[in-house]
Amino acid sequence: MPSPKQRNRRRIRNTLLLLVAMVVLAMIVSVLNQALWHSSYLTGYLLMGSFVFLTGLGMRKRLSFIPNIGSARFWMQLHIYVGLATFAMFGMHIAWRVPSGTFEIALTVLFFIVGGSGLYGLFISRTYPARLTSLGGEVVYEQIPLLRSQIASRARKLILGAGESADVLGRYYVNHLARFLEKPRGWAYFAMPNGRLKRQLVSEISELDRYLTADQRDLGRELSQIVEQRDRLDYHNALQGRLKLWLFAHIGFTYSLLLLSIVHAVMAHAFMGVAQ
Amino acid sequence: MASKQTEPETSINGMAINRPARWDTPFDSSMSAASASDLLRVEPFASMDEGAFSSKVPLTGVLQNDCRLVELESGDIIVREGDYGNSAFLILEGSALVSLRSLPDSILGRSQAGKKRGWLGMLAQAWQQPRHAEVRDYSDAQISADDSQTGTRIDGESTRVFLHDIPRVIPADGSVELQTGEIFGEISALTRSPRSATVVANSKTLLLEIRWQGFRELLKRDSALKNHVETLYRQNSLRAHLDEIEIFRDLPANELEEIWRATRFESFGDFQWNNEFKSTKRKDIADRIHAETLIAEEGQAADDLILIRSGFARLSRQHGDGHQTIAYLGKGQTFGLRELTHNAATGEKRPWTLSLRAVGYVDVLKIPRQTICQSVLPNLKASQLPPPLPPQAKSANERSKSNRRLAEREETLDTSLLEFLVDKRLVNGTNAMVIDLDRCTRCDDCVRACASTHDNNPRFNRSGEIHDHWMIAQACMHCLDPVCMIGCPTGAIGRNEETGTVKINDSTCIGCSTCANSCPYQNIQMVNINDHRGLPIVDSDQGKPIAKATKCDLCESHGGGPACQRACPHDALVRIDLSTPDSFIQLH
Repeated sequence: MPSPKQRNRRRIRNTLLLLVAMVVLAMIVSVLNQALWHSSYLTGYLLMGSFVFLTGLGMRKRLSFIPNIGSARFWMQLHIYVGLATFAMFGMHIAWRVPSGTFEIALTVLFFIVGGSGLYGLFISRTYPARLTSLGGEVVYEQIPLLRSQIASRARKLILGAGESADVLGRYYVNHLARFLEKPRGWAYFAMPNGRLKRQLVSEISELDRYLTADQRDLGRELSQIVEQRDRLDYHNALQGRLKLWLFAHIGFTYSLLLLSIVHAVMAHAFMGVAQ
Repeated sequence: MASKQTEPETSINGMAINRPARWDTPFDSSMSAASASDLLRVEPFASMDEGAFSSKVPLTGVLQNDCRLVELESGDIIVREGDYGNSAFLILEGSALVSLRSLPDSILGRSQAGKKRGWLGMLAQAWQQPRHAEVRDYSDAQISADDSQTGTRIDGESTRVFLHDIPRVIPADGSVELQTGEIFGEISALTRSPRSATVVANSKTLLLEIRWQGFRELLKRDSALKNHVETLYRQNSLRAHLDEIEIFRDLPANELEEIWRATRFESFGDFQWNNEFKSTKRKDIADRIHAETLIAEEGQAADDLILIRSGFARLSRQHGDGHQTIAYLGKGQTFGLRELTHNAATGEKRPWTLSLRAVGYVDVLKIPRQTICQSVLPNLKASQLPPPLPPQAKSANERSKSNRRLAEREETLDTSLLEFLVDKRLVNGTNAMVIDLDRCTRCDDCVRACASTHDNNPRFNRSGEIHDHWMIAQACMHCLDPVCMIGCPTGAIGRNEETGTVKINDSTCIGCSTCANSCPYQNIQMVNINDHRGLPIVDSDQGKPIAKATKCDLCESHGGGPACQRACPHDALVRIDLSTPDSFIQLH
């Protein structure tokens, strides 16, 4: 594992390499254009090659039992920088103009979805882990439904255990808390996780204090802790879910892009004479 | 004699029980007072002075509670080369053969070292991979192919491995015969080092197995036995240990001889720290540090140079009302050279500036100050000498500031991380799995990679002790002190001498769980094995599922290093040696 210093050095080195490679490519494209050659064939094949190469990271992950095919870390670095290079290649390929044909527009949109999702993935892969760590309580994503039901059952037992003496809390549980604790959070929370509902519930429970005996107040505090615990779990779920979901989207669109690119290449060759 | 526990009584103070005593759990409950009396007529116990033993720990008590009788058939393997053990053995009847040559791994029950699958083998795995987890092939073809020279027999509740043909495996010219009255295995038991040779019963043999607690007591009370063991240790091992110490490397032979003669051996702490560790894990850190055995105490006269021979020790300093961890020392490291050098150079009499405490158990060598001043310091180059001690701190604030200067290294870890590593006994790990949670996306690529290389079942849990953003995952750490290797009846668990990897041989593992129960970190899992249809393989007698012990083997047979580390795309997972802080420092 490289230290932060080594990672910084690596970042600078790779960025410089990327810039140099793109400047060289731009010069070659410029020379070809001046010679009235079709530089789009060069950039097109480079793009296609890059797309195929970029799928190599997924293959590497599937073949992890084979040694000496390079570490996933190495493949990831290649994936990131070749992926970034494709933006420049794409720009040169379409001569920095907005494409006009329906097929070309679809291809462009698909390219930006794949590239954009890649950048989004890179961003959340570098920022979410620290957010998850600062939440505390490491949670395995697949175990979240189980943990959720354990939390709900703990709250249920607390209320049932208190019996009729905890009438106020019991009613509050039935009318407000049960829905929050028993069911998963909706898509709105998943899209924009926040602590609003948690704060509201905790504050409502503490407002009930004046109707409660000393013992019941302890019960209320325990319920507040359960609400906070459940909210933390939901936050884990939302963040970890995003970390998994973006990859599905990224991979799915990648294969669509690859397929359309092949069709595009065949069409480009088929109509090469017409273009000339 | 084992004290009898009375029924718990309740009083104003709460429940009252008998104070836990040393022999509450004897080594073998079937040892009676009569057997102990019989043993008193046998040498070396017959010559021992019973009056030299304390009334609380009498000789008969040691014989009854710390010993057990072991009956063996000819060919039974008593100890294996490379195994770790807590016991010494006295031959009461019969004889035993010590093999002077290393026996092949197949006979010792271990995994064959150095067999790595090639590229084609790995590729073939992609097609041959069973659909179910933990599938084993017990087809006739495979069993008949195993031309074993050993067999197993059930002896009461334990399993014994025996050699079918002793002369074929251990020829007369490659062995030494031990006769009735001889002791063996004592150095390994006392120093927690691997057994240096394989010993086999040469006839029907009766052994007295003495666990380390009892053996240590015998050494303490009987000077003849102590001298015998010390002479053995001095002859066989001490020179090698001294050679490992950097400051002694260039000394003239006569000075080394002087050190060799003056060195004293001492042990601190508890050999079976793993049992206690599990129960005290939740104790307050201050209480835990307080409970650790002191090897040298801050403020006491600095009279010796202390060398850590095995185990770990905590360097701590009084801070307020508690003790702050400054560093930890492991095998081959020294304590006190700085004070001794400083005092020799300045004529001051500065005491220990730090305390040294046993973390678990520690074996040390002590070399007197005079010997160091006469034989070592004059022969060291200026670059080999430690820096002088900082001026004596007067206030608590100054003391805190000088802690770093006393750590004797330019870079060190912060106290909380050091204490975390020492308290959780993670310093034992030579190949711990460290996950940087600030970079880990929880993608589980590491878990999948491990599963795909190990019978579709990962050999670790992506959970474990966490400090700040560092997680020490539950994966075998290939410990310096591998307590899991004590007591395996078939020798299935063993250490690769070249790489240090602790591996389990699946074919000789009988699923007894001894290793899994011993591992203080819960890093060994028992799994039920299945056939190709995914149905559990059961034993033919009782129909119960067959279990096997599984753990991380660092993908040794796959080459290229651990698959988990290679599979992490985010620079989040690394296997590092925690026995020295250097590897961790590099991560910062």
